[in-house]
Amino acid sequence: MGLDFVGQGAGETDGNIITTTIDKVVNWGRKNSLWPMPFGTACCAIEMMATLASKFDLSRFGSEAIRFSPRQSDLLIVSGRISIKMMPVLKRIYDQMPDPKWVISMGACASCGGVFDTYTLIQGVDQFIPVDVYIPGCPPRPEDLIDAVLQVQQKIASGAAPKGVEVVYE
Amino acid sequence: MNEEKDVEEQPKPLVLEKLEAHHSDALLAQDEARGSVVLVVRKDQAYAVLEYLKTDPELAYTYLVDVTAVDNSQMESELMQFDYARFMVVYHLYSYQGQGRVRVKVPVHENDLRITSVTGLWQGANWLERETYDMFGIDFEGHPDLRRILMPDDFEGHPLRKDYPLRGRGERESFNFDKQNV
Repeated sequence: MGLDFVGQGAGETDGNIITTTIDKVVNWGRKNSLWPMPFGTACCAIEMMATLASKFDLSRFGSEAIRFSPRQSDLLIVSGRISIKMMPVLKRIYDQMPDPKWVISMGACASCGGVFDTYTLIQGVDQFIPVDVYIPGCPPRPEDLIDAVLQVQQKIASGAAPKGVEVVYE
Repeated sequence: MNEEKDVEEQPKPLVLEKLEAHHSDALLAQDEARGSVVLVVRKDQAYAVLEYLKTDPELAYTYLVDVTAVDNSQMESELMQFDYARFMVVYHLYSYQGQGRVRVKVPVHENDLRITSVTGLWQGANWLERETYDMFGIDFEGHPDLRRILMPDDFEGHPLRKDYPLRGRGERESFNFDKQNV
């Protein structure tokens, strides 16, 4: 986390003062308090619910506060098939989320259309919204979703920008 | 041995008996599939037959299970059977009075896709007929609100028709993002 203990010799402050950077503290807070916005449209959503329930318990990783309001969330979990009629809805929800925001594309359908190579199904939501972590599987197990959340946490902790943010170097 | 005997002794279904007595000129063909009677009915009398099936007190097919259609354009044998009618509108009915299920098929020609809506008989036909219109382009006359139900409003074509390409005509990439009602 980049914490450094200050103080060498004997004294009252010895080991009691910690220095760090604002970015690291903020990222540490962000990564441990992700508020997911679920976008469940198919069987992947059932696995997502199982992930949130007591057996797998996503709250162990600080992500149990599921927000059905995109304006109060920072992690979009796209779990299921997205049709050409649903994609504008998903895009609007993504646009409503405040920055910084991360996106998990859960399962084969959201990531590439899965077996549904048909006229009505989006062949991968990353054509329209930026995706940070993809999960393979049809549907993936809850452990896979937990792993994806942990990867998002790693990404946040590393200070890397979300996929949806254009970084401008001055 | 016993099975054969059983088949022979099965009585004629009541629905066939009554229809042959009252609407014999409407029946184009009849069949039996998986224990339910299959009737092929002339389009101009389809509404009258369905109304009779529903309102007759002995038959009382009061439950409309499904309305759908079949595109036979790539089934030469089916096409020839009913004067090259491309579509077959299918009604599934169920009787709670013990008459079981009946399937009513109505041949519809491609150059005249109109057929009388049964929303006057069953309110539940509303969305089923909208779906059939959306997927096959069947024009249900007298329907209170005949517009697309599954595909987006600005969608062109009817995707369950056999000549519609499975992967579409590029709408996966070029659909309208700026929906007013989203």
